[in-house]
Amino acid sequence: MLKKDLIEKNPIRHLKGESDAKESSRMGLVMAQAGAGKTALLVQIALDTLLNDKQVVHVSVGQSLDKTKLWYDDMFKDIAEGCKLENAGEIHDAIMRNRMIITFNESKFSLAKLEERLHDLMQQNVIKPSCMVVDGFDFVKTERTVLEGLREMAKAMDLQIWFSAVCSDGADSQGATGVPAPCKGMEDLFNTVVLLQPVPQSDCLELKIIKGSAAVSKCGKLLKLDPQTLMIREDCK
Amino acid sequence: MRDITKVRNIGISAHIDSGKTTLTERILFYTQRIHAIHEVRGKDGVGAKMDSMELERERGITICSAATYCDWKDHAINIIDTPGHVDFTIEVERALRVLDGAVLILCSVGGVQSQSITVNRQMTRYRVPRVAFINKCDRTGANPDRVIKQLRDKLALNAVPIQVPMGLEGDMQGLIDLVRMKAIYFDGENGDKIREEEIPTQYKEECDIKREEMLDAVSMFSDELMEAVLEGTPTEEMIMAAIRTGTLSMEFTPVMMGTAYKNKGVQLLLDAVVSYLPCPPDVDNFALDLDHDEAEVKVSNNSSDPLLALAFKLEDGRYGQLTYVRTYQGTLKKGDSIVNVRTGKKAKVGRLVRMHSDDMEEIDEAGSGDIVALFGIDCASGDTFTSGSDYNFSMTSMHVPAPVISLSITPVDNKAQDNMSKALNRFTKEDPTFKTFVDPETMETIISGMGELHLDVYVERMKREYKAEVTVGAPQVAYRETITQKAEFNYTHKKQTGGSGQFGRVAGFIEPMEEGEYEFVDKIVGGSVPREYIPSCDKGFQKCLDKGALVGAHVTGVRCTITDGASHAVDSSDIAFQLAAIGGFKEAYGKAKPMIMEPIMKVAAEGPSEFQGSIMGSLNQRRGIIIGTNEEDAYTVIEAEVPLSEMFGYSTDLRSLTQGKAEFTMEFAAYRQVPKSVAEELIAKALKNKKQ
Repeated sequence: MLKKDLIEKNPIRHLKGESDAKESSRMGLVMAQAGAGKTALLVQIALDTLLNDKQVVHVSVGQSLDKTKLWYDDMFKDIAEGCKLENAGEIHDAIMRNRMIITFNESKFSLAKLEERLHDLMQQNVIKPSCMVVDGFDFVKTERTVLEGLREMAKAMDLQIWFSAVCSDGADSQGATGVPAPCKGMEDLFNTVVLLQPVPQSDCLELKIIKGSAAVSKCGKLLKLDPQTLMIREDCK
Repeated sequence: MRDITKVRNIGISAHIDSGKTTLTERILFYTQRIHAIHEVRGKDGVGAKMDSMELERERGITICSAATYCDWKDHAINIIDTPGHVDFTIEVERALRVLDGAVLILCSVGGVQSQSITVNRQMTRYRVPRVAFINKCDRTGANPDRVIKQLRDKLALNAVPIQVPMGLEGDMQGLIDLVRMKAIYFDGENGDKIREEEIPTQYKEECDIKREEMLDAVSMFSDELMEAVLEGTPTEEMIMAAIRTGTLSMEFTPVMMGTAYKNKGVQLLLDAVVSYLPCPPDVDNFALDLDHDEAEVKVSNNSSDPLLALAFKLEDGRYGQLTYVRTYQGTLKKGDSIVNVRTGKKAKVGRLVRMHSDDMEEIDEAGSGDIVALFGIDCASGDTFTSGSDYNFSMTSMHVPAPVISLSITPVDNKAQDNMSKALNRFTKEDPTFKTFVDPETMETIISGMGELHLDVYVERMKREYKAEVTVGAPQVAYRETITQKAEFNYTHKKQTGGSGQFGRVAGFIEPMEEGEYEFVDKIVGGSVPREYIPSCDKGFQKCLDKGALVGAHVTGVRCTITDGASHAVDSSDIAFQLAAIGGFKEAYGKAKPMIMEPIMKVAAEGPSEFQGSIMGSLNQRRGIIIGTNEEDAYTVIEAEVPLSEMFGYSTDLRSLTQGKAEFTMEFAAYRQVPKSVAEELIAKALKNKKQ
């Protein structure tokens, strides 16, 4: 398979909306229980951007650089092997140039710091990302204003941002719109909210679109997450 | 023979200037191996005992891993002084192989620095259990708590203090042992008189909290202790056993503190080495079965089994070559005959000694798990010795990483010439990653190795130890060439005018291969090339590999297949077919889309966060791919992959960019294709050199 076909066949494109940085798909959120595959989904979203020859900043809170890099290498290998991608090695080397990982300790993360880093990167011409994924962001301890700030920053830098969040336990944690805590009451800040949850009588995880445009909701029904490889696919039984 | 469970083979590893050598010196003093204390940069000019090389003494750094032996409370401790520089990769790796446990020394002010991160990573790779010692608690600005936090954050170790210092900086009194809940003072001029007392009241509360934390962490490793803690009756033995279990599983790192310079805490560290670090049978070591494709086999650690010993270090002594060996199983006895697995040669154990840096002690035998030195055995570093030729095991893989950098050296006079060859002969034996050869075109002597500093140190050693003054050329990166597609050839070598003629024709193809350097495949059917000339073709191809047509770099990853050919009854000869193969290779090489590859280094630069932007910019300028950054406190670590050719002089650049506040380490990562623009430059340069 060629790279072009891979981009077109990649089911993840539905999730991301029309263009990477349109206002209607500015911020996305992936929610799930711990260990359900949030990072995997974020990495796939990032890889899709990379395959389109655009640049990505991956912000990882609490995870090490090596571990994050390994996620990319593994996911790319799975994708490349799954569809027998030609020149996989070359494509890998080329797209990884467009990726930059920034890791923070849990206690050290702050919006101001992130903004400063991103400005630094752009000023030094190291990278000009069109997509940023933020993994391990602590929504429990975050004020709404921080997210509003991030949204503004995204707009100013013409970025699309995807977050991951761990669902709190308990059925009563869900708000009226179906967005579970800790993000209850923040849904208006996100254009797309995806909940990863197990499908009854199946091994697969379903991508429940809680919020999103009509096109995103439509395709959401068709997408599943394979629990073994944590890859998104359209034909999972 | 000594009880194997009472042997400890430990390494001491640290960032430069954390006081490693001073600590070793104190250990030797307290274990009564030496009777006076000297300082590393001592005024008395004697210097610490472990740094046996003059160069190390001058620079205040440790390069070679000399082994030394001492006794502590009925246990034998072999200390292997590990080098702190990543550039000496094989040296570090070999030292890490032979040791079972390690003491990680950290400066209480400097904390975890980039060197510690690299060494820690290597230790994790080799599964070396470790205890941490926070040294220099007497220095202004000492903050052990911050260092412990760094151990957790930066090195991802489950570091838990098992001691509390009584006072810091100038007024450090002593230490409180949280296991036994006793205050310990170090009296006497050299701190050798230990006084145990009750914990002073002002530290009581802090100690209770810290002990609680320690018990929480350590009870994860023992159900018995967990129950006892709940009942409020944990005993000293239970806690120590649990700490040991945790340490051996590498899931727990006990942290001790003190100041070697002011003689505080060293004896307690020795107690911890004996109590918590593994003895040889606690560690799984593996030998490679050479009869079964280097399959891993666990060594038995049994002194009555056949011998398996690894020569991990050579030294040129007054009485000939001294070989440091570690036995993994079996017994090494004076008068026994042993076999070098690599060469298959037999040798007799003449003198067996236990080393104490420069002094030695004669012994008759060494049991399994011990570290001793042999005299008069001819071998290279990394060789394995066994008791017989039918016992075909090796402790190290025969694979050695290829050098990535080279430079030319020219002796200044005839005397230097002689000394230089002596020195080179010695170094290549000691260090398989250090290679030397004479360039047939320029007739210059070329040395090659794993990094700039690696070669620098050998050039220095040549001057100091062998009095060989040499002038050094500019460093050269070891480029490689390879092909990217299959190409055919059909070449006839013919010279049949006058005298004896030459005739040979070979046809076939060359193709890229993923792994390995070169392969020759003979697919001739029907004898179009006579049997006796097949090896000639192979030889011809191999001659082409030394210098590729693009920039004259070594060619790798090529499979040459011959499918057809022709010969002449009289004029065909070995040389004719060699030349035909060379011609064929050259014909096909251009068509096979050759490309140049360069060594890429994994670089980790660390500095204050405010310089992050400029460090990244500087790496970016050097064609580096920035993998990512990691922020910790006010420091940021930037990881990048940068071509080695761009890294020359980077340390100076980095220092001037960051007011000397940043440092970096690098390790060889992989060979990768050179970008087109750079490749063109290289080719043009090679062409120019050829014309000259």
